[in-house]
Amino acid sequence: MPILEGKELRIVGFLCNWCSYGGADTAGVGRFKQPTDLRVIKVPCSGRIDPLFIVKTLLAGADGVLVSGCHPRDCHYTEGNFYARRRLEMLKRFLPIMGIDAKRFEYTWVSASEGQRWQEVVTKFTEQIHELGAAPKIVGAEAEETLKLMEAAL
Amino acid sequence: MKIGVFVCHCGTNIEGTVDTAAVAAASREFPGVVFATDTMYACSEPGQDGIIEAIKEHKLDGVVVASCTPRMHEPTFRRTLERAGLNRYLFEMANIREHVSWIGKDREANTNKSADLVRMAAAKLLKNRPLFSKQFPVNKSVMVVGGGVAGIQAALDCANGGLKVVLVEKDTTIGGKMAKLDKTFPTVDCSSCVLGPLMVDVAQHPNINLHAYSEIEEVNGYVGNFEIKVKKKASYVDWDACTGCGLCVEKCPSRKATDFFNEKLATTKAINIPFPQAIPKKAKIDPDFCMKIQKDKCGVCAKVCPSEAIDFTQKDEFITENVGAVVAATGFDLFDWTVYGQYGGGKYPDVITSLQYERMLSASGPSEGHIKRPSDGKEPKNVVFIQCVGSRDKSVGRPYCSGFCCMYTAKQTILTKDHIPDSQSHVFYMDIRSPGKLYDEFTRRAMEEYGANYIRGRVSMIYPKGDNLVVRGADTLMGAQVEIDADLVVLAVGAEASVGATDLAKKLRISYDAYGFFMEGHPKLKPVETNTAGVYLAGACQGPKDIPASVAQGSAAASKVLGLFSQDMLASDPQVSVVDIKRCIGCGKCIQTCPFGAIKEIDFRGMKKADVIETICQGCGICTSTCPQGAVQLQHFTDNQILAEVNAICRF
Amino acid sequence: MQNLEDLKEQVRKALPELDVVIGWTGGYDPLHATPHFIRRDEDIDKLQVNALCVHNLATYLPSMRGKKVGIIVKGCDSRSVVELLQEKLIDREDVTIFGFGCTGVVDQTKIRRIVGDVGNIDSCEVSGSEVKVSASGTEHKLAMSDVLSEKCATCRYPNAVLSDHFAGAEITSTATFEDGYKDVVEFEEKPEEEKFGFWLKEMDRCIRCYACRNACPMCVCRDHCVAQSRDPHWLSQEAHVRDKWMFQVIHAYHLAGRCTECGECQRACPVDIPILLFKKKMNKEIKEVFDYEAGINPDATPPLMTFKAEEDKITERKW
Repeated sequence: MPILEGKELRIVGFLCNWCSYGGADTAGVGRFKQPTDLRVIKVPCSGRIDPLFIVKTLLAGADGVLVSGCHPRDCHYTEGNFYARRRLEMLKRFLPIMGIDAKRFEYTWVSASEGQRWQEVVTKFTEQIHELGAAPKIVGAEAEETLKLMEAAL
Repeated sequence: MKIGVFVCHCGTNIEGTVDTAAVAAASREFPGVVFATDTMYACSEPGQDGIIEAIKEHKLDGVVVASCTPRMHEPTFRRTLERAGLNRYLFEMANIREHVSWIGKDREANTNKSADLVRMAAAKLLKNRPLFSKQFPVNKSVMVVGGGVAGIQAALDCANGGLKVVLVEKDTTIGGKMAKLDKTFPTVDCSSCVLGPLMVDVAQHPNINLHAYSEIEEVNGYVGNFEIKVKKKASYVDWDACTGCGLCVEKCPSRKATDFFNEKLATTKAINIPFPQAIPKKAKIDPDFCMKIQKDKCGVCAKVCPSEAIDFTQKDEFITENVGAVVAATGFDLFDWTVYGQYGGGKYPDVITSLQYERMLSASGPSEGHIKRPSDGKEPKNVVFIQCVGSRDKSVGRPYCSGFCCMYTAKQTILTKDHIPDSQSHVFYMDIRSPGKLYDEFTRRAMEEYGANYIRGRVSMIYPKGDNLVVRGADTLMGAQVEIDADLVVLAVGAEASVGATDLAKKLRISYDAYGFFMEGHPKLKPVETNTAGVYLAGACQGPKDIPASVAQGSAAASKVLGLFSQDMLASDPQVSVVDIKRCIGCGKCIQTCPFGAIKEIDFRGMKKADVIETICQGCGICTSTCPQGAVQLQHFTDNQILAEVNAICRF
Repeated sequence: MQNLEDLKEQVRKALPELDVVIGWTGGYDPLHATPHFIRRDEDIDKLQVNALCVHNLATYLPSMRGKKVGIIVKGCDSRSVVELLQEKLIDREDVTIFGFGCTGVVDQTKIRRIVGDVGNIDSCEVSGSEVKVSASGTEHKLAMSDVLSEKCATCRYPNAVLSDHFAGAEITSTATFEDGYKDVVEFEEKPEEEKFGFWLKEMDRCIRCYACRNACPMCVCRDHCVAQSRDPHWLSQEAHVRDKWMFQVIHAYHLAGRCTECGECQRACPVDIPILLFKKKMNKEIKEVFDYEAGINPDATPPLMTFKAEEDKITERKW
């Protein structure tokens, strides 16, 4: 089920609780229409986002990953997005050596009041991923099997 | 874990574009889910009762509610779980309203996405653990930073409410900008007559401890228990001994010291007391101008001081204050208008700021209330006021309106007429902004009764002609260029965040906007709170404000502090980082990156380890993403919880 | 090596004050050197310093914390020592650094590729320009330029960047930063699918032995590596290329701004996966964005452990 075949691509968003998640809510309250591909994972702060989560997500088959935090200087925790900016910038520059198009990953800043901006970011990023198409998948015969085992173990 | 899923219709808000029954049906297939249903209004009383019944009937030990944003009803449903006897953190929300049903009408895609979000929530929930708050005691005292009218009001309200108050002021006297004003709008009553009694109250209040000529050096701790290091700057006068008699000021031979209180309109003595009503009324030496400190000559002040208070060797002193809350009331400063070349960029002495004009108008000012232009001391007849200098001007990076300039300019035209009956005021303005009780009537009076000549348009240049200045500008209503001979030009300089405001914001861990004004918690619902618990805002530090608004906010901040302190114990948020001592190798990277100093190094059986101070940790998780071996994990947002969400949606 | 006698003398003088001095000596055959722990005077005579001394001995330092340790370092090794000092994983007062000017070390993989499976090595002579190997009666003369390790060909730090004792004369290097990253640039220019496919194939060979990690002087987590943990559970225990690849990215990321490019990870890899490329790529970007190189200044802060409110070279993308 996860995505609608032929219609959607797998796009994952990591959003900070204080600004961007609120911005996405504001967009909802404003009924700002957006593509349906994005699935949001809420984290307290963009500083919580280990770039390796994004690598993990991309290697696990996501077609795009979007990260959004508070604008620089607006971080609820004062410094989280400053650390995030450095770490995520490095990731963006690193992806090409893995053979992953850097355009599959973007990071940006959206405040809790910027519903309109959130709509623009989501729309533009989704379009960008659709232009790139589905990412190459690492398939293995055992993949689905393992997944079942993992789920059974829970 | 046995998970129950409740998919909310939210009336038609969700059901209109999401097939909630289908989402519930799909949810039953997700790992851990033993019960799923759709429900009309999950947050309503019958909705919550339904959740409680299901928990009991199906022996659920975890709940997912798919409804609105967790920012709305997460606290509601957590309480529901607690009523059913479950820990409040064995709960997850899938936001299928703001993030799904409200942003698109494709029912198939919405239903599918909703199911996906439930799958993620359930996957994370499987990794959730019960978390428990700790109670900690509150230090029921408050620090107010800034002794302007907002800070004074906040301090007095708190002190009258029975709290111990520490008031910190960076200048040698409290009073702030208001103390410099001659009269106030729209009543044209004397500023110091209004403010003076409040300042005296501060000085005499048994609950207020005033540190003047002091600044915040360092802030540690958290709501309920802040530990704040205050720097008491060297005044070279022992204030415990100084009686404020002023003999030293009288006898001091060094007359060239910069007079900041009088906005540099005049000079003052190297040792001085800024104004007669100063609180505290204590002398301070300006070391740059003191001959004893500079050249080891003179020392007259020490000889004449009857209480032997002069101490030329005094050093900055640091003291620590423990308080439970902080009110920031650091006010504003004036924009540096000299960037405007068209106004002379500071090279014409007879172009002055509105605050300088206030000092000129004030009976206790350097000219004792006589309007004298700086160049030759003559009384001006034609006075031109220019508004929006450093306000509403993108070209100088100040696009916002300073709010009060229209009103004080109107006031100054009235006072000009009062002081010099045969004078004429001309005001160049963009728009007149006068919302507020009796405000618009007041500007009308300036024009109609006092004959101020209002010209709608900007000034393009000021140039000298003989002893006078010519102000050239546009009159956009007439569609003509105008030139006015001016004896004196007064600039309505806009407000900006006070010098050092951003440094203080960083120390207090509060946000500030692009202009250095502090950010409130919510623009409408939390106007005096910040996003840092226990830190409140009062006055123009949050944005330009006039006196009534500043006073109102001072009182509002005080009421928030009193409300906070109405409890003896506060509950800590258990969503904090925890170190797995087995995995920690003591490399200290988390200590290095923690913005709050919440992680300390401890010695564990001879090994270095990190340890989180639970009450200081704010739960940002920077440490967790810094630690290479994953030894420090932010509770409720652990690596495994986030990875579970990733794995739930990225299924190879 | 003409410096060897000087070095031995320096070690001899310092040894009484130290618990151990780490150097190299002959290994299991004449073609290989092996780490050598000098505790007594007679151990000093076995000290070997030449192009076969490939090991980065700094790897041992964190585990010897608390002891007085002397360490003999090549230029690249010294950077690891500096980095460990910078991260306060070792104490300056406990470490005595013996430096010398290094002319480069061999790449055993290259030798193996040229001479094939040579069987028993009878002898090996190393000079500045040549490696003479005689194995099972046959003599192979290898030009040093053909068997020199890649990192040495473009080495910019042939001398210890920090040392208490220095044997012999310093070596001058003319290599530029760009010289060292030509391979990265070249690889990056390939189409994305080709690179992705390349790594899938390469990573598939990984046997998850973690030799790369164990050889890495900066992998100080060791027993607590996330690769072998279930809390946090970053990698499954299955032999899937996705997890193998993920581990290499984890390694590169945990080394971001810390890696001194000693190349031990790649040297230790039994199946020759070119994993150093990931670390070099990261270093190249770190240098470009933060103008920073790890292991040069013991007082610096790695760029990902700090920030600037206004970054010099990170510009907002239009969104």
